[in-house]
Amino acid sequence: MSTEQQTFNPLREGLASKAMPDPCTLVIFGATGDLTHRKLVPALYNLAADGVLPPAISVVGFARRDKSDEIFRVELEEAARKFSRQGINDGLWNSFASSIHYHRSPFDNLDGYESLASRLDELDAARGTRGNRLFYLAASPDQFEVILENLRKSGLNEAKPGSWARVIVEKPFGTDLPSARRLNDLVEKAFDEAQTYRIDHYLGKETAQNIMVLRFANALFEAMWNSRYIDHVQITASEPLGVEGRAGYYDKSGALRDMVQNHLLQLLCLTAMEPPAGLDADSVRDEKVKVLRSLRPLVGKDVFKHVVRAQYGEGAINGKPVAAYRNELNVNPGSVTETYVALEVNVDNWRWAGVPFFIRVGKRLAKGGTEIAVHFKSVPPVLFRATGESIDDNVLVIRIQPDEGISLRMSAKMPGSSLRIEPVKMDFHYGTSFGKATPEAYERLLLDAMSGDPTLFARRDEVEEAWKFVDAIHTAWNTRSDDLAFHESGTWGPAEADELIKRHGGAWRRL
Amino acid sequence: MEATVTSEMASEPGLPVEIGRIDKELGKLWEASDDTKTRASLINLVVYSEKEASLSSNTEVISAIAGKHACRAILIVANPTAKESGARAWISAHCRLQKLGQRQICSEQITFRLDGASAGALPNIVFSHLDSDLPLCMWWQEDFPEPLDEKLWAWVDRLIYDSSTWMHPKHQFLLMRHLSSSGAKGTVLCDLNWTRLHAWRFGLAGMFDHAEAFPRLNRVESLRVVCAPGQNTAALLLIGWFASRLGWTPLESADAFITPLGGRVSFKIEGKAGPHVSLFSVRCEDAHFELELKEGAGFFETTIHAPGIPESHQLLPAPNPKLEETLLAELSRSGRHPLYTQAIDIVLPLINR
Repeated sequence: MSTEQQTFNPLREGLASKAMPDPCTLVIFGATGDLTHRKLVPALYNLAADGVLPPAISVVGFARRDKSDEIFRVELEEAARKFSRQGINDGLWNSFASSIHYHRSPFDNLDGYESLASRLDELDAARGTRGNRLFYLAASPDQFEVILENLRKSGLNEAKPGSWARVIVEKPFGTDLPSARRLNDLVEKAFDEAQTYRIDHYLGKETAQNIMVLRFANALFEAMWNSRYIDHVQITASEPLGVEGRAGYYDKSGALRDMVQNHLLQLLCLTAMEPPAGLDADSVRDEKVKVLRSLRPLVGKDVFKHVVRAQYGEGAINGKPVAAYRNELNVNPGSVTETYVALEVNVDNWRWAGVPFFIRVGKRLAKGGTEIAVHFKSVPPVLFRATGESIDDNVLVIRIQPDEGISLRMSAKMPGSSLRIEPVKMDFHYGTSFGKATPEAYERLLLDAMSGDPTLFARRDEVEEAWKFVDAIHTAWNTRSDDLAFHESGTWGPAEADELIKRHGGAWRRL
Repeated sequence: MEATVTSEMASEPGLPVEIGRIDKELGKLWEASDDTKTRASLINLVVYSEKEASLSSNTEVISAIAGKHACRAILIVANPTAKESGARAWISAHCRLQKLGQRQICSEQITFRLDGASAGALPNIVFSHLDSDLPLCMWWQEDFPEPLDEKLWAWVDRLIYDSSTWMHPKHQFLLMRHLSSSGAKGTVLCDLNWTRLHAWRFGLAGMFDHAEAFPRLNRVESLRVVCAPGQNTAALLLIGWFASRLGWTPLESADAFITPLGGRVSFKIEGKAGPHVSLFSVRCEDAHFELELKEGAGFFETTIHAPGIPESHQLLPAPNPKLEETLLAELSRSGRHPLYTQAIDIVLPLINR
């Protein structure tokens, strides 16, 4: 394991508002895959073009296919031109690309790791990266075990004195609690928790990061952020897309494992957590874990009362007919995998007693969007009762994507001699006020991992607590499947989900 | 898609309005936009100039930045020496389309022309037309007058200026140092001359990340900076930053520093037509590090000749030299600039020697 000492370059001090990453070599396992092409390399190029990457950084792609450095660079250039948020400058790309290398080896061949070690030593000497190494597991999850094992056997997990070795693990972190524990044990054999960075790209999104700022930098909201003033919270992640070529994975996973266990429970944690003692990674993550531990377990019959699962049927998206889930390519025609799930979750602690969190996620819904909507309690129906006016409750909406922003619904008097009350919306759009392009989540997360800041990465106990909650639901689901509902594609989900929230006296928001 | 639409009259900087009716007229401007425009503002940006020609160039800069940093811009052109006193005002809007078919996002501009004694009404003009509760950024395009009006400056959150345009930089730097330590100490000093050097500092720091390069910072023998004629303050600020990071102290009698280990480091500034700074070269006993920006190039070239480091040439992103891009870079940064004030302390004894 490493001793993370930093050799301090005084010229770096104060150049940026946050710690600059050390020069390092990033080794990507699964370098020929989609993630590397669509996300990682465009993100690295954008960081280089924005001038926030140390020039000495090296990137080594590790994969099975036979190809030269040159061919690898050409492929990555093509991908970067297609997926980068900013245009590619030929000169800068060529300079950046000269730091990219390809290392061919099967994942299960120890010799390949030993030759990688020699190659990394050569790169360290040539580029002065001081033995700092960041390993990115972007391969298929079934390869994680053999990669981690060989990293350990080859000694690549061991940092040299004065340098560091870290690993980034892509989701899914297991498929249930036992597999997550097994994966975490494997990771732990090779890397300390402090060296392990589990990516949940939702946490890298600007608006997700803004939740803490909104809550804890504004006295206005935090004072009312409790069961005394809040009626319920809705967390929604909807998309009009279907499984889009991920059927093999998705049919085994389903919406609950694919989205709720990680992204949506992370959003719930950020919404419900107590103010952390500090902004350091563990203070923030400690508070998130406390929320997960406070979730009232959904087990047995309670699952069928508080959770609705559904699948999309035929319908239309943007005016075009689309197939039912069971008719999608590579989906089992008798599949009971949920493409939609709605849950009523309770956080059993002092702050949130009696405030349900309604979570819903689904594919082939009417519109795409991710948001957190905090519904405040009604005012006492005393003062305006005589006027016959109904008063809408205040709703604070944090839009995660698209059109990131915050809106607040309030009541206002309509101009005129009579007293008419109408809801009005105060709306803040990031794009309106901050015209500059928002960095992609992967840019922020890669930079943080290089800088040694794990705040936006999931800790082992977070992942396992989330699985514990989700596994109990799956256990109940495995006993029967007659509760699976169906909804037409292009709608807002099944009637059963509407009933779920109606029992509380609410209704799902229209995005 | 992003487009900028400036609703501006051809001969005047907007719609002429009575100064006492500016808020009402701005309200009418938005009401007339039939809900297709959204007004946005993050800051109050006050721009002060005494040059007649600055009106159109500053309006262009505001139009360019408004799309990326929404603001209420208050543009003031003053002529304190005019025989006749008078104050006139115009309002206009800078709008951009976020995406085709979406509503336009607009920033508003209030332009003032202050002649003669009316130029003395500057604090009142500024204070009475600010968008309330938003930070005040004042871009002062002249040398700072004496005595400093601390009542005015104490209200300014970020004071923007460009030391490369100063006629008497030593005196002006002293004023700025006084300002930052006086009653207006809440004011953040934002020198665009320093902002332009950010990428230089980043590039230079990057050259010394290499494990073999880093220890050579203790063995520097000389620095050489090439800058455009008249850009000596930029070169000095860069040298001042480098020296302050390494704990060097300037010698009174020569263009040189003494290092904490007692070594002597000489420096030389050369003038050559081209970018404001085009070369920063660091020589050690056995090594040579160079960061160069060629005319018209969008990137720096780094050159390192040193035993133990493979000979390398690398390209690094260079900033867009347009004024609006420099201003945007400054507005996008937050917090104070302590390295700048440390660099000034080093630079002050070296100016006008």
